[in-house]
Amino acid sequence: MISFLQKIGRKNSADAAPLSRGRLELRDISRRYPGSDKPAMTGINLTIEPGEFVVVVGPSGCGKSTLLSLVAGLARPDSGQILLDGKPVTKPGPDRAMVFQEHGLFPWLTVADNVAFGLKQAGVGKKERREAAQKALELVHLGKEAGMFIHQLSGGMRQRVSIARCLVMDPAVLLMDEPFAALDAQNRTLLHEQMQELYVETRKTVLFVTHSVGEAVRLADRIIVMHANPGRVRRDIRVNLPHPRNFDTAEVAAVMAQVRHEIDEEVNAHHGRTANAKTEGATYEI
Amino acid sequence: MKSEFNWKRALGVAAVWLAVFAGWEAAYRIFEWKPYVFPAPSHVVDAVLGLVGFKTYFGDALAGPDGPWPFHGQGLTLEGSLWKCQLLTALGVSLLRLAIGFAASIVLGLSIGLLMFRFKFVDALLGPVFLGLQTLPSVCWVPLAVLAIGINESGILFVTVMGSFFAFAITLRDGLRTTPPIYRSAGLVFGAHGLRFYTQVMLPAGLPALAGALRSGFSFAWRSLMGGELIFVLKQHGVGHLLATGREYGDVAQVVASMLIMVAIGMAADRLVFAPVERRVRARFGLG
Repeated sequence: MISFLQKIGRKNSADAAPLSRGRLELRDISRRYPGSDKPAMTGINLTIEPGEFVVVVGPSGCGKSTLLSLVAGLARPDSGQILLDGKPVTKPGPDRAMVFQEHGLFPWLTVADNVAFGLKQAGVGKKERREAAQKALELVHLGKEAGMFIHQLSGGMRQRVSIARCLVMDPAVLLMDEPFAALDAQNRTLLHEQMQELYVETRKTVLFVTHSVGEAVRLADRIIVMHANPGRVRRDIRVNLPHPRNFDTAEVAAVMAQVRHEIDEEVNAHHGRTANAKTEGATYEI
Repeated sequence: MKSEFNWKRALGVAAVWLAVFAGWEAAYRIFEWKPYVFPAPSHVVDAVLGLVGFKTYFGDALAGPDGPWPFHGQGLTLEGSLWKCQLLTALGVSLLRLAIGFAASIVLGLSIGLLMFRFKFVDALLGPVFLGLQTLPSVCWVPLAVLAIGINESGILFVTVMGSFFAFAITLRDGLRTTPPIYRSAGLVFGAHGLRFYTQVMLPAGLPALAGALRSGFSFAWRSLMGGELIFVLKQHGVGHLLATGREYGDVAQVVASMLIMVAIGMAADRLVFAPVERRVRARFGLG
């Protein structure tokens, strides 16, 4: 993290020790569907340590994206509290920068101005933010695309710009809402590799939402399994593999099989069936 | 991605239209149709040139007692000054009225369109009314304008604004509704707040909607103004008055010529200004 901060020339946080910030606590979060009494999620408790890469998996409707909106401050819980480094989250802010599934980059700005947008809002001078944006873009291998517009980029490039836009803000937590779901398999693998690279370099706290178990095992230190109706945390699985990971090793495959098995067990238990169901080994995605 | 201009097809289209007009002119002369019922293309040419100040006789017989076609031996002569000709004077008057009316329509339509988008109550209150009034043909505002305001410039302005700002407001509201809410979220997450949130996020995010509203608003304003000018007779003559004068003098060639001029201006504004702006904005937004 220090090397990145020095690169983008923001001294104020460069002397802060790494892993000193980015502790996220969710305390007994509940939320109803808007305009109804039906609970969307109940009793979510989760503590994420600084520098942890946490991936939330679950079927659609389990509230995993809502969970991210709550942490981002774009929505409020009906009850419970979210704390970032001990301070309650009340509104959106760049300390919880987010990569959206549909990128959410501004088409009226160039790639560089998109990345520098947050710094501009923070009152950082033109020259400084230009340099910072360029550094962040080089970090995601898009240094040459700074002057282009969003509609000229491929889907994978857009998500890389989106990541650069977050990194440049030096957030305490990086929120990622199914960021690679819309990409083809090849691009997704490429971005998984780059994500590993960036994580090793920055060691940010990451809260990542996906419906793909494979993606979760490739990236996560911890996998949180959620279930729907109402959304709640069912399992908290540790992935004890070093970063960066080589996705093709037997080790990763073994962990993936094990995580899948645990999830299948959970799914089957949830549906009142026995655990040794025939889904083992199948490419099951929830 | 820019499509090449297809010269071959354009030439083909031009050739077919030329043949149609030639056939029409020929039939006119062979069957000796009455020029006061419906004009031949040559009469319209005479009328248009007449409005610019040139006296020509394209519509006359090829060989007649007054001398050779089409100038009767006088050559192409300009009567008076080109700048003070009927057409340019009328255009100046109409475009000035349009500028004032369209500007007023934008101010009103923008404020009410934004209010309808922002506040559900305003939308419930005004949305159906505006949708209804938008379908009212603009000339139907003329009697009310005559009685309530009088036969004057304000009356014409009233018709122009009433005929266009409902459509502007509705188009803007509908366009803003299709603006992806993600721009709002992204703006908030990356720290935009207060006035900057509106000027740097919401306003640019609404550009495609605004471009669409301007385009439809202009076309409504132009039509309303022409309708108003056709019925209001004022000291300052606009393009609509050329049409009205043509009718009063039974000059069917001038009637058709005036209609052509109205179409030409409406098309030119749309093709040269509003459509390209809308296309550019939509391309930038990846809306195709």
